Amino acid sequence: MQKAPFTTGYLTEHCGDDAFGTLKGYRARGGYETARRTLKKGSPEEVIATVRDSGLQGRGGAGFGTGQKWSFMPADDGSAPRYLVCNADESEPGSFKDRLLLERAPHLLIEGILLSAFAIGAEKTFLYVRGEYGESIRSLTRALEEARRGKVLGPRALGSRFAHEVVLVRGAGAYICGEETALLESLEGRKGMPRRKPPYPAEHGAFGRPTTVNNVETLCHVPHIVGKGADWFRSFGTDASPGNTLFGVSGQVVRPGLYELPLGTPLDEIVFEHAGGVPDGRKIKAVVPGGLSMAALPAGQLDVPMADEFLRERQTALGTGGIIVMDDRTCMVRAACVITHFFRDESCGQCTQCREGTGWLNRIVRRIERGGGRFEDLALLEDLCGKMEGQTICAFADAAWPVQGLLRHFRQDFQSHVNQRRCPYPESFAL
Amino acid sequence: MVIDDALRARIESEMRSFPEPRGALLGALHRVQEELGCVSSEAARELSEIFAVFPVEVLELVRFYNFFSEEPRGRHQVTVCTNLPCALVGANDLLCGIEGHLGIAVGETTPDGRIHLGREECLGACANGPMMRIGGDYHEDLDLAAACAVLDALE
Amino acid sequence: MAGPVGEAEAGSVRIRVDGVEYPVREDLTLLQALDGLGLLNVPEGVEIPHYCWHPHLAIDGSCRLCQVELTRPGDEQARLAIACDAKVCEGLVVDTKSEAVARAREGVMELLLANHPLDCPICDQAGECRLQDHAFDYGVAASRMREPRRAARKRVDLGPTVALDQERCILCRRCVRFCREVTGTGELGVVERGDRSAIETFPGQALDNPYSMNVADICPVGALTTKDFRFKARVWSLDEVDGICTACARGCNVSIGVARGRVQRYVARRNDAVNGSWICDEGRLSYQQIDAPDRLSSCLARDETGELCPVSLDEAVREAARRLRPLLDERGPGVVAGVASGHASNEDVRAFKTFLDVLDVDTIGLALREGAADELLVSAEKAANAAGARAVGFGPIEGLLERLRGGGLDALLVLGHDLLEGDVESPALDAAELEGLDTVIVFDTHRSPLERVAHLVFPVRHAAEKEGSYTNLDGVVQRPSRAVRPAPGVRDERDFLDRIGVALGLAGYGMDRTA
Repeated sequence: MQKAPFTTGYLTEHCGDDAFGTLKGYRARGGYETARRTLKKGSPEEVIATVRDSGLQGRGGAGFGTGQKWSFMPADDGSAPRYLVCNADESEPGSFKDRLLLERAPHLLIEGILLSAFAIGAEKTFLYVRGEYGESIRSLTRALEEARRGKVLGPRALGSRFAHEVVLVRGAGAYICGEETALLESLEGRKGMPRRKPPYPAEHGAFGRPTTVNNVETLCHVPHIVGKGADWFRSFGTDASPGNTLFGVSGQVVRPGLYELPLGTPLDEIVFEHAGGVPDGRKIKAVVPGGLSMAALPAGQLDVPMADEFLRERQTALGTGGIIVMDDRTCMVRAACVITHFFRDESCGQCTQCREGTGWLNRIVRRIERGGGRFEDLALLEDLCGKMEGQTICAFADAAWPVQGLLRHFRQDFQSHVNQRRCPYPESFAL
Repeated sequence: MVIDDALRARIESEMRSFPEPRGALLGALHRVQEELGCVSSEAARELSEIFAVFPVEVLELVRFYNFFSEEPRGRHQVTVCTNLPCALVGANDLLCGIEGHLGIAVGETTPDGRIHLGREECLGACANGPMMRIGGDYHEDLDLAAACAVLDALE
Repeated sequence: MAGPVGEAEAGSVRIRVDGVEYPVREDLTLLQALDGLGLLNVPEGVEIPHYCWHPHLAIDGSCRLCQVELTRPGDEQARLAIACDAKVCEGLVVDTKSEAVARAREGVMELLLANHPLDCPICDQAGECRLQDHAFDYGVAASRMREPRRAARKRVDLGPTVALDQERCILCRRCVRFCREVTGTGELGVVERGDRSAIETFPGQALDNPYSMNVADICPVGALTTKDFRFKARVWSLDEVDGICTACARGCNVSIGVARGRVQRYVARRNDAVNGSWICDEGRLSYQQIDAPDRLSSCLARDETGELCPVSLDEAVREAARRLRPLLDERGPGVVAGVASGHASNEDVRAFKTFLDVLDVDTIGLALREGAADELLVSAEKAANAAGARAVGFGPIEGLLERLRGGGLDALLVLGHDLLEGDVESPALDAAELEGLDTVIVFDTHRSPLERVAHLVFPVRHAAEKEGSYTNLDGVVQRPSRAVRPAPGVRDERDFLDRIGVALGLAGYGMDRTA
């Protein structure tokens, strides 16, 4: 089971408590009260308005406004089924926060699902869970069974007139299914290949129906926002990026783990004060701030608040809040090998630039790492990245991003590989 | 028939959870993989008939998603995450040690058919690497000794 | 076969492409609109290269080569977008020549070529390869790919008609879509992901459908090739002539590939009103009949021993007149009948009808072989011009057969040999039933069992060897070009009939007359 966060807040305060994962335990801590009240007495418009006013941004990586996304759903004329899809296909390297919520707070997620589905008028939620997340699937299966038995779900959810059912769908091992339209394809029993947009899911989503896709953590914020109000939520985080989020810290730090903190908490504070910095008195070399798809920052640029409006200025982004710390033994060319291998492995293969580009990047950096690099390879890498970025059906070919980041901040590592015709970091992690 | 009546009945009942039967196809592939050890071409053909899709569409899924295989891969699927967070804390050294311990390379199955060893991309256990996944179970914060003990205990 | 183009007029919007304004239908994408205007990738048109898009297949949007810069009303700046999937709208401004567009195209080309084997010297597609063409037009001068290229399966036997080279494949998936959308047979798929992706069939299932070879036509590279044409000729040594297929009444448009004076292949040629972009395999291979060993190359007549022997044109014409004149004079035109064929051109059936009219022969009919039809293109009528023959007055053959069987006929003039093939309504006529006739004169392309009873045989041209028009089952009149020269002595039906008319001294017939 995923370990409880080192720092908690409203989202995860009970996650250290095993009983919180049960219906009884969740109810004992006030769970489902917000949904019960809202489903009986509230209106979808109010829920949407509250969430929109709260400024909640999706926590799945793209950071799109949740209330705004909901408002894209066409008016509900009652003629066609509409769906909520919960994206529980967490697979961004460095991210392990949704796993915590799935394993330890399944009823919080179900309450978030109920409120969100009520808001958009969805009769059914497809909960698409990463296939590898065995513990999450067990936990959700138990919780959904409890919720059905306890009439939390069903034709009269929580005693209201709102009917809702949740269908658990198990992914089968493909990173790309975390992209929302690839997820919809997978949900429909097809290869996870992102769809051309428009039409967007709100218009033509799961099984051709109006659909909203929301991330696990995003949905878990909803009961808190609806229960305590937009202003309360805005008391956390920054003006542009309100609320807490779950940062995951991994790599070479003293206390790797999850940290619930307000958005805008400085990266260096998270890495040094909360996670204890790098062990054995070593120095930090690089930090990936938001999951492997985001560009790494060098040690000198860690004084940045962890919110998109600040990270964008440093040509990176919050992503999923997965912070990966690398110490000064680390070979950044090897890091590039791992990153490009990942994107090569996981590209769906649909668009030319991504299919061909990810493999080419990987072959070049592997050659450089082995000492076969040439100076023109650096320009070639940059040029290829430019040819991949922003030109494909989904954002995956922006795999170019982290590579561009490494070339921007750690060019010296690449150059010394070329000069010395070998890796100059004998103590770096093994490939 | 490799998909027996009981399995077929379960697959068909799961179709009802979806607006279109095909929504249950991934789940059906999971069941076939788990119960039959692989999705053989016979099983794929039978699934294509159950779901009224072209046989090659089932093959496409089997070869797109990591979970499915056309051939049996051993009783236990053991995979080690080697993505960056785990690599930084020694995942590749662990994998090497496991290869030595089992006497097989990544991608191979032990001669007794007990263990198939693979590497995997990030499994969402980044703070507790190195780690390995055996089916639906995670084994985290491993060193080689701990990993070998887990492997040796597998039937 | 109705594609997205060519349907009823709907609302119209104005778009501006490279500074020129065009009115287009509002429900189309940019490529569909330009294609519908006949402007796409033609001289003086708009050049937007593309691989995965095909006018008669669903939009895929994956090759990314057709990127152009679009500015919609209200946009602050132009954006790159794929033209195949960009809906047109009023005031849309399209730039196909900007620097960003050139960069995007060059990027796609360089990446497509990264794993391509560049084995053009031994590739059958060389010369008609769109990868080769676009690499030249938009690509980078020299490949910067120094890594080992992807190794994949070569010479994969997909089925009876088509072979696959996975290394050359650029994964445009046109073939996959064709088999799912057009034939509904779904033999092909893409397995694996990323740069391991490859076209595959299900184990034990071949690419085997009546239209299978179209996948080679639509393959923009040399990944899919027909076994029939493999290694037969280099494409640049082929002369391409616009022809039609004559295997059934559809009249599918083909490009006839000619080398060394012989037809080497048919390739489907687009005609949205007739066959879309497709042709059936049977029709595609029907070119083989042109040079078949059983082609007639000389006039034949019976010698003293009763054997059919080659004779000169003059002898044959004289013999025809010698046989017909006494019959007509003594027994009258009522004992003569004319059997038209759906294989003869409009000009030839018209000449035949005129000839019979001048003789006052009114026992006439159309012999037509019928067979299986399908919902896509293949028509039950196995001849290209049955509609044309009907239009000049050749109707059902039943009356003629009745008269023949009742002993009322002494002479038969026959175009083709479908008379012996029967049709759906009347069972095939046996050659033996013609044995008692005084005179049987045959005009045909190929040898047939009709020879057993024929007294005279005139060798006529195949559609690929002549000038003529053909009317398809929907009434579309098509005039294919002559692709090859016929063997000496092989002439049009109308030419032989003219000469016979002169020999018979018929009114209006003279050497200066042209049919």
